[in-house]
Amino acid sequence: MKKGKKIMIVTIGLICFVLSYVMFIQFKTVEETNITEIESMTTAELREKSVAWRERYEQTSEKLEETNAKLAEYKQKKELNQEASELLEQELLQARILAGETDVKGDGIIVTITDHEDTEKIVSYDLIGLVNELKLAGAEAISINDQRIVNMSDIVDIYINDGSQFIFVNKEERLVSPYVIKAIGDQKYLESALTTKTVGFIDQYSENATLEVKDNITIPKYSKEIKIKYANIKEEE
Amino acid sequence: MIFIAILIGCVVGIIAGMYAPIIPYSLSGYLAISIVAALDSVFGGITSVLKGNFDLKIFVSGFFGNAILSILLTYLGEKLNVDIYLAAIVVFVGRMFTNLAIIRRYYIDKWTNKKQKIEEENK
Repeated sequence: MKKGKKIMIVTIGLICFVLSYVMFIQFKTVEETNITEIESMTTAELREKSVAWRERYEQTSEKLEETNAKLAEYKQKKELNQEASELLEQELLQARILAGETDVKGDGIIVTITDHEDTEKIVSYDLIGLVNELKLAGAEAISINDQRIVNMSDIVDIYINDGSQFIFVNKEERLVSPYVIKAIGDQKYLESALTTKTVGFIDQYSENATLEVKDNITIPKYSKEIKIKYANIKEEE
Repeated sequence: MIFIAILIGCVVGIIAGMYAPIIPYSLSGYLAISIVAALDSVFGGITSVLKGNFDLKIFVSGFFGNAILSILLTYLGEKLNVDIYLAAIVVFVGRMFTNLAIIRRYYIDKWTNKKQKIEEENK
């Protein structure tokens, strides 16, 4: 074989080798780039993509902000509502306690008055005076023999034909001695209001009355129904 | 003999290429254009063999020269922000088709000539 032909064969073989080698590298690269696309992207492509993503990010963050603002608004509204409803509930509770609609419990005093043979019989005015003084001292709930005294309560004497008399409260409840008056309020105020020297209730009725300061007194609710038929709230003008 | 050389070169190249590491994607564009250039040279070489004016020096210099030149042009295009590689591809692929047409014609002519000869002999 001639030398020139040998060189040609080797050269062509080498060229074939180079060509197929490079081609297969390229095939592999193209195939692999689908997996590691981002790693091997050109800067231009990356820039383009990053711009697109930034746009999307901006749009999304704008939406997020909007949604957050709405959310905050709703939250504020809800808080306002809650505040209002809490206030209303508190007022309702207060009103219910004042109206005597619920059993109540708290610290206060208990005054016990008993009829004695050698003193005058206890009459309604004695109890009215006591209740008034308790109210003055800031009692929040009062009961006589477990009859709740509310603002519409009455304490009256009922005289019967044979000369005997009874005390009635709340229109039809008859009271008998001993009269146990419970009051919930500031214990110091209540006690001092009743124990003023000589003019205080306890001194006046020293024979018949005892006073006890007690914690956790329970006062039952007003047993009658409170009906309002004629009174209406006056509209403010 | 030359076909064996081509076969061995291709097989070894394919095997070596399969186990070669991949190149970064940003460089694969240059490689692709160089492959197209090299293929163009190969078809050109085949055509020249058929025409009988094949020159190894021209073939080898064309093979590597075109590949390197196309890479350089692509790089320049990248720098200028002009897609020069598109022009290179158009030229190379166009030439490839031309060469393929020449090769096709050559073999078809050869085939028809052979057939005619056989027919004449049969007569």
